[in-house]
Amino acid sequence: MIRFILSLFIPFKWFIEKMGADYQQFIRILNLKLTLDDRRVSKFSRRKENGQGKMMVRQSIFQIFIGALFGMFIILIKSPFTFYYMAHTLVMVMMAMMIISEFTTILFDTSENAIIQPLPIKGNTVSLARNAHVFIYLSLMAFNLSVITLIIAFFRFGIFSGLIFIFTIFLNVLFTLFFANILYLCIMRLASGERLKNLLMYFQIAIAVFFMAAYQIGLKMIDRSVITDMVLPVNWYTYLFPPAFFSGLTEALTLFIFDPPHLKFIAEALIVPPVAIYITGKYLTPVFNRKLMELEQGDRVSKIKTESVRESLWYRLMAAIFVSKQDEKAAFKLMWKMTGRERQFKQTLLPSVGYVIIMIIAPNISHKFSLSDLASGDKYIFVLYIFMFISAGLSSSLLIGNNSSASWIFKALPSSSPAGFFKGCIKAAFARFFIPLYLIIAMVVCTFWGIRVLPDVLIALLCIYLFSLLLYYFQQPGFPFTLEKTAIQGGSNTTKIFGLIILTVIVAFLHKFLLHWFDFASIILIPLYIGAIYYVNRIMVYRKISWQEVDQVNNYS
Amino acid sequence: MTQPTIVEIRNLQKSYDQKLVLQGIDLQITAGQIIGYIGPNGAGKSTTVKILCGLITDFQGEVTIFGKDLRRQTVEIKQQVGYIPENAALYESLTPLEFMEFVGEMRGLGTDQTRRKAEALMGIFEMKPHLNQRIATFSKGMRQKVLICSALLHNPDLIFMDEPLSGLDANSVIMVKEMLIHLAREGKTIFYSSHLMDVVEKISDRIILIDQGRVIADGSFDELNKLSQDENLEKMFTRLTGNTDHSQKAEAFIHAFEK
Repeated sequence: MIRFILSLFIPFKWFIEKMGADYQQFIRILNLKLTLDDRRVSKFSRRKENGQGKMMVRQSIFQIFIGALFGMFIILIKSPFTFYYMAHTLVMVMMAMMIISEFTTILFDTSENAIIQPLPIKGNTVSLARNAHVFIYLSLMAFNLSVITLIIAFFRFGIFSGLIFIFTIFLNVLFTLFFANILYLCIMRLASGERLKNLLMYFQIAIAVFFMAAYQIGLKMIDRSVITDMVLPVNWYTYLFPPAFFSGLTEALTLFIFDPPHLKFIAEALIVPPVAIYITGKYLTPVFNRKLMELEQGDRVSKIKTESVRESLWYRLMAAIFVSKQDEKAAFKLMWKMTGRERQFKQTLLPSVGYVIIMIIAPNISHKFSLSDLASGDKYIFVLYIFMFISAGLSSSLLIGNNSSASWIFKALPSSSPAGFFKGCIKAAFARFFIPLYLIIAMVVCTFWGIRVLPDVLIALLCIYLFSLLLYYFQQPGFPFTLEKTAIQGGSNTTKIFGLIILTVIVAFLHKFLLHWFDFASIILIPLYIGAIYYVNRIMVYRKISWQEVDQVNNYS
Repeated sequence: MTQPTIVEIRNLQKSYDQKLVLQGIDLQITAGQIIGYIGPNGAGKSTTVKILCGLITDFQGEVTIFGKDLRRQTVEIKQQVGYIPENAALYESLTPLEFMEFVGEMRGLGTDQTRRKAEALMGIFEMKPHLNQRIATFSKGMRQKVLICSALLHNPDLIFMDEPLSGLDANSVIMVKEMLIHLAREGKTIFYSSHLMDVVEKISDRIILIDQGRVIADGSFDELNKLSQDENLEKMFTRLTGNTDHSQKAEAFIHAFEK
């Protein structure tokens, strides 16, 4: 596979050399990067050793599935321009969303620097290899997302049109790469060192939430009754949207229309991405790499921060409510501190908070919206249960991090079962991140719907807590922040999320049904959930999380 | 007076993917000794230490520590054992004090007691000003000092050390060597695995040399010296591990440049 990918660069040897890189060294570096990528998953998860490469297949299946869902939506669109415009927008939006969290490991990946830096290799060669690596990564993702759309395009607009679509996907990837470089360079001008790392993290979160909001609200704005005849009007500003370049080119060659607007799109599609990639390779990436090296050295030159040993009142209150045993207390304290500091954790979890807020707001964006209608209904049930998705993100985010070699300490300590430690971990994350958010939304709900809904707020909280525990205990029993993101993505995780969606709908409907049955009937759920939480925390977790299970996933070397 | 046996190992074997790394180790270690455990790269030193500390559980053979079976009474054994790993990673977002508080509390020590001990131990290494700084900002040697202090927090009776001097500055090396001698005098048993022959020779009461997963020499330096007539441990090591052609190898290395 790696050989095949590398062979695709042979025709571009002249271009690579024109950019000031050494072709042989470029190929060697790219080979090293791809080899490290290929082995990344198995390095951190012994369970995956036998299935090397399978994770990539699982990720691809997930992306194809997302593309298929979108394909079902645009299948009815008759206009090739609108069809391809939507398809390219999906590719751009999804790429932006997915690479946001991956960029730290792909674009900011400096793991091979120890090998490359001492060697006599020109900066241009390293920069170009880094861009080529990101390009391969993005192309694979873009192709997976578009594969169903492509099949639809073949049937709907012909094979030639489909082939042009493939070509434009690659142009789209080139442009996105340029765009990402520009964005990150702008951010890098604002700060340096630790501040920059934090700024980048929050920027990535904001971008992910922004794209999600744009997508959700955009969907809401479309009048679905006219979707089949939907035609995007071409205004002066349409020429500024990259998806329009690519869809304009594809439509022109599909329908053989070469009027001035189409010629403009063709020119943009054929000129902008190559120019963008030339600027990226020649000017942006060297600056980017220099900034990246400064970022790496930032820890050493910036002022060393001293952490406070004081424990907040909120921490003490939560610890008193949630933990009683010694091992749980120790884990709770440790995780409370780490969850507040681990960037990858926040980067994975915080977008889900933004998504949930958008999912609450987006359905209510309508001209017919009225506060009095809202307050009279029972929509608050939806508002409360939608927070279940944050709990899903919480359990998996606790696994992701670069501390795989730090887990030895848990095995070296005298503990007959790791279950207590795992209990402390999820409780700390739940108490620190979820409860404050939930309290805010509870106040909003009580303000709109009145104090009478307070029991329902409590029921939903108990239900979400129960689900958080179950999700955490039933995922791979990895120690906190020790697994790579790729090690937990894919098949079982996707199944779990879909299972959770179904379960959320069931429990929310059960709650809603009880509300309509008779007043306060839903209160019977309180002892039910408390009993279930008690069973899960006191009995089930000790059966589920044993050293035998934990040793399968963690590496103590 | 005969000292009690602390560690008893019978026919210890361990394999990774059908490759036998330990091929039947038999050892008896008595209290108050410093055991120098040496061997070439890949001899099985770290594997032995990890088994004895309970990090590797799938091994063959019998191991008893403090008269307890390692397989069945791992937790009880771990309570009396301290472990300093080689080049171990630490959670970088934590401070040494937070890390040690966690270790202390998991070992049943109270927070205040752990803090006092952590401050005292880190103070010895002149690390007190760094107690509340994140480990991410530490050098390799500073991290090693954190590991040493964490392993000694609970005053263990048996201490396993896997290259404990790795990355330490000269003063800290001297300090750790002195500390080991004092700990042994107090009756602690120290299992010291290292590549540094001069340190092992100076501090060990007993030297165990392993090669390809087997014990090939065992005794005090004087006992081994009497048998082998080697002038120092380094010479003995090279002869017993069958690597006596160092100068030829160095010559071949130089020739490799010329080609």
